[in-house]
Amino acid sequence: MNNKLLLIGIVSFIIIFVYWLGYGLLFVEGNSATFIGIILVSSTIFFYIDAARSGKEIYLRPIAGLKAIEEAVGRATEMGKSVLFVPGISDMDQVDTVAGINILGHVAEITAKYETDLNVPTCRAIVMESARESCRESYLRAGRPDLYYDDIVHYISDDQFAYAAGVNGVMIREKPAACFYQGKFYAESLLLAETGNSIGAIQIAGTGSASQIPFFVTACDYTLIGEEFFAASAYLSNKPELIGSIKGQDIVKFMVIVIMITVFVFDTVRQMGLLDFNILTFLGLN
Amino acid sequence: MFLKRQMPTIIAISVGLFILFGHFINYEPIQHFVDNDATQWFDIIASFAIFLGALNMLKLQVLKVAKKQKNWQYSILAILGFAFAIFAGFFFRGANYVNLTEIDPDKVTQLITHISTIQDIKDPLLMKKSINSSLADYEIPKIFISRSNANHFAGLVSGLATDVTVGSKPWGAHVQIEGSLFSWMFFKVFTPLSSTMFALLAFFVASASYRAFRIRNFEATLLLVAGIILMIGRVPVGELIPWWVVSTLIVFGFGALIAPLIMDKKILFGIIFCGFFASIGLGIIFDWSLAVNTPEILSITNISEWIFDYPTAAGSRAIMIGIALGIIATSFRIILGIEKPF
Repeated sequence: MNNKLLLIGIVSFIIIFVYWLGYGLLFVEGNSATFIGIILVSSTIFFYIDAARSGKEIYLRPIAGLKAIEEAVGRATEMGKSVLFVPGISDMDQVDTVAGINILGHVAEITAKYETDLNVPTCRAIVMESARESCRESYLRAGRPDLYYDDIVHYISDDQFAYAAGVNGVMIREKPAACFYQGKFYAESLLLAETGNSIGAIQIAGTGSASQIPFFVTACDYTLIGEEFFAASAYLSNKPELIGSIKGQDIVKFMVIVIMITVFVFDTVRQMGLLDFNILTFLGLN
Repeated sequence: MFLKRQMPTIIAISVGLFILFGHFINYEPIQHFVDNDATQWFDIIASFAIFLGALNMLKLQVLKVAKKQKNWQYSILAILGFAFAIFAGFFFRGANYVNLTEIDPDKVTQLITHISTIQDIKDPLLMKKSINSSLADYEIPKIFISRSNANHFAGLVSGLATDVTVGSKPWGAHVQIEGSLFSWMFFKVFTPLSSTMFALLAFFVASASYRAFRIRNFEATLLLVAGIILMIGRVPVGELIPWWVVSTLIVFGFGALIAPLIMDKKILFGIIFCGFFASIGLGIIFDWSLAVNTPEILSITNISEWIFDYPTAAGSRAIMIGIALGIIATSFRIILGIEKPF
């Protein structure tokens, strides 16, 4: 373990050293903090992925929203109703949508196992194709490729409110027992979540759109907030390398907290005139 | 199998790493590719993919009608709407204009009178000035959807200029010109429908707020109090609330906070009453009725700003940091091919 840590440390140091040598010539000036940040974050995450692959036990705290996914699909199965999955209104260039499609894969696997109808209305054609691929794989993994057909995932409209109207129409007509909102959302979030609430569906939301989180928290039964949403697919897959990346992410978060406290203390002391050292300039942030 | 499995992963990893490190490489073509070409590639692919989406939507609606599935009547509307949009975009241009060459300067007023029959003129003098400055070649500001209407108007004004011609705006540009069938559909049908959906938000916000603000536990109470302060602080009437109302609210709020800790209700009420009279007494002694003497904490506007600038900003930044790290970790997993959503 320590050898690997040393190796990753040396490789990171070499990359940063090469960057330093070529700074201004080979590499663009002015974003050294970003570069060093990326290397440090990547090497930390990579170290924990590697550690998890080697069999290191990693504890993940229980996330209620993720535990409820199977419960929600089970409820839909018992009621003989469908499951609705909304992957947001953005395209595949948004990480939120990618994370949403990852979660869709897990939901589709459960619906395939339970033989429950799944309905995935999409807002973008590329998302439709990716979602189909993900669902097809999941049905295959669950051993039920016979239940899969392309129209599980269908396109509604590229326009935000036309899409919201279309999805609301599906909800009102089909009355799904479970609604998942996982992806990038804007103003339509509350339109969808409130309609889902009005039909009595169990609702699980997850988004990286900070401004939409309050709406989902209010209207949904469970909400994956911030990093929980991005960790969901890793959590659900239970694959060591994916879980390792979450651990690495948490360590980076701890490092960020330490840096924030250090900057706060140093800058406060400097502003009080007790120290002639500007940490912000030192870190290239000022 | 290689093309279906390994190839996409290789493309994703190589392009991902290239775009990531391209930001740091000091070479103009790479910078240009990262900043412009790569995003344009995505736009081009997305533009072609729209056909897949549109055909899928049409196929499902047609099948619904053909098989007379439940609620198939709505699908007829969807198909008709689709067909109308195609017709307005590709087959019926509209966007007809009337152009006058060498207008008789003595007949400008007459021309304005004719224009006023088809369009509201806010400032006739300004229009007269505009026509006089382009007597040699003037385009009527009104765009006609139907060719016959344009011809009819051209006939009316034919005696006012040497030559009156009727033309159409070019294909493609017509979708953005007010007066084409497409823009009519967009502004008169689509925009009101979109606005209606957006307006529904107001009602949904009300019902969602009602649920969120119901007092069930300490957190919900805190949310309710913060919400009310923010709402009052953001409207003009918030500034008119006198200091003694705010100080009383603070005393009662403090009382509500300590209530679970004090079992004896007499002591609790004693503390609240003492606080109430003490705050009023302090206000009278220090003359808080004068705006300059009032402590900042006794202004609802200041309290709402404080809530917005500190606790709210701190909470939302914590979430933002978590989201940013989540995005980095997810991107890292995809770039390294550990997680494959494709």
